[in-house]
Amino acid sequence: MRNVIECKNLAIGYKEKYKKETILIPDFTIELHESELTALIGPNGAGKTTLLKTISGNLSPIAGEINLLEKNLKSYSSVELAKLISIVLTDRILDQHIKVFDVVATGRYPYTGFWAKLNQHDQSVINNSMEMVGVESFANRTFNTLSDGERQKVMIAKALAQNTPIILLDEPAAFLDYPSKIELIHLLQNLVKKHNKTILFSSHDLELVLRSADRLWLVASGKPIITDIPEQLILDGIIEQYFNQTGLRFDAMKGQFSQPDRGNKRISIFADGLTGIWLCNALERKGWQVNHDTDEPVCVHYIKEEYILIYKEKTSCFKKLEYLLTEIDKYEDN
Amino acid sequence: MKFAWLIGLMAVLFILNLFLGSVIIPISEVFKILFSESATGQTESLIILNFRLPQAYTALFAGAALAVAGLMMQTLFRNPLADPSILGISSGAGLGVALLLYFTGTASNQVITADIISHLGINMAAFVGALVVLLLILFLSNKLGNAVSLLIVGIMIAYVAGALVGFVKYLSRKEDVYAYALWGLGSFSNVGKSQLPVFIISISIGLVLSILMMKSLNLLLLGDRYAVNLGLDIQKTTIFIVVITGFLTAVVTAYAGPIAFIGLAVPHLARSLFKTADHKLLLPATMLLGACLALFCNLIARLPGFDGSLPINSVTSLIGAPIVIWFIFRHRNFSTQES
Repeated sequence: MRNVIECKNLAIGYKEKYKKETILIPDFTIELHESELTALIGPNGAGKTTLLKTISGNLSPIAGEINLLEKNLKSYSSVELAKLISIVLTDRILDQHIKVFDVVATGRYPYTGFWAKLNQHDQSVINNSMEMVGVESFANRTFNTLSDGERQKVMIAKALAQNTPIILLDEPAAFLDYPSKIELIHLLQNLVKKHNKTILFSSHDLELVLRSADRLWLVASGKPIITDIPEQLILDGIIEQYFNQTGLRFDAMKGQFSQPDRGNKRISIFADGLTGIWLCNALERKGWQVNHDTDEPVCVHYIKEEYILIYKEKTSCFKKLEYLLTEIDKYEDN
Repeated sequence: MKFAWLIGLMAVLFILNLFLGSVIIPISEVFKILFSESATGQTESLIILNFRLPQAYTALFAGAALAVAGLMMQTLFRNPLADPSILGISSGAGLGVALLLYFTGTASNQVITADIISHLGINMAAFVGALVVLLLILFLSNKLGNAVSLLIVGIMIAYVAGALVGFVKYLSRKEDVYAYALWGLGSFSNVGKSQLPVFIISISIGLVLSILMMKSLNLLLLGDRYAVNLGLDIQKTTIFIVVITGFLTAVVTAYAGPIAFIGLAVPHLARSLFKTADHKLLLPATMLLGACLALFCNLIARLPGFDGSLPINSVTSLIGAPIVIWFIFRHRNFSTQES
């Protein structure tokens, strides 16, 4: 697999005038693989945006070098760079009169002449890009009429019109509701698979990227970046090591964060399938430690669409999960 | 189609400017004077060729220049309230004029009124004052490198220049303060027939240069990071825009005084009328609309009855302010948007 971007002994951060530089991520070496969906994941303030700015040539690295397609990043002119790397940001476009078509058309600007005149080819690239992300129907709408998810898609269409092998996205899922997040991730996966794009996107949503990215770049303040495929990072316990903070625990079984144990109330449940999963979810939410199929003083069976609660040889039946929870809440001190 | 209407409107307003005024000259006469050498009446020919025609040209070009300068400032600073005076360039011009009046008046201790000081002197002083501020802004923009700081510095320079004008006015004689106040009201009638070619050529150069910025202006709409990613050199673009805007503002202010509101209001009008943010359309649209509005204001200021006594700045503000208020009502949320 080819490396499209190689960061060698890179240190990134920012430098203000008359001040000492602030290093966010010290000395690391990492490669971005061609035709992969790579997620840059880490907490807020760890340096994800700074890293993306550095890779897109917007910010100079503090030390080390970046190679883009086997040539030093600095050796590219800004227009050459514009044809290789496109970016998608969460920045709001302030001008509300701007039309969707005009925004996507700016993706062609690096290819057009002085007057930014769009030829037949440019027109068809713009239309194709809008079709690929499904915004062709509102080409003539202005930006202020779009939802956050739609704006995000328009900016991705702009990146596609730019026709670059590499696309960098800064927190593309940040302002989206859950279905739109999933839609976005599918779109990105599609661009990688069908159109051979190399995509690097930042996110602080670990659960989302674990399920979708081909590879993770793990960032935490002051630590070097660690990279691998997501599953390996979980199996090696690295995700836990990077993300465990006070009050949060990474559950490697479920691939998500959970609250640490609240008490020693133990319960065992005897239920299969979907009911088992959500019964477990409900009980954990109420602060119980749930075990499956073991012998605990309190246990719940799910039989014939009824929840049967057994406690101190007393048995009660509930038709609805909510009633069970109300009852079990009374068992605070067992 | 809309452009054809605008060009037509501009032509009509231009001709109305020639035949309306304290002396009404019939249209047929106007055309005769314009297109045939042999003028019928000496006085009418004099009024039109020496006064109304230069005035109409001045209004047309000054309006176009201020509107385009306002558009470029609004796009560069991504601020709907930016206008050509925001960088302090008109204040610099004002300071130049105030200093000239002070030194020719108080300092030389002669009784000189604004009528006696040639318009050319005032023009030069205003232009030099504007240029000094422009150079200062350019020097600073190279150091600052970001539009928001530049905007704030520009406003601060305007305050300093304004304060200095106040100081100079305090020291000046009554007559000179009055002359300064008259200059500050603005007028399209100060460009004489002989200065007209210089004025028109200077403005035309500025307008052509602004058209060349079209692609960069469109990229700026997306914000700095997108613009840079699409290959734009922000630093260079900022300097070009400041130079072109500064030059246009300096020339107009030098010849016509500090004219308010056209630069602020016309870009909003153009955006609403053409429902676009694309500078390929907006630039020519603002030029035409600016020219139309200036010609219209000039016409109002010269309506029979007012006898040329209405100052142009009052008219532009009286027409401009309702436009801005209407804009704010239509886009009530524009100031609350986060960056």
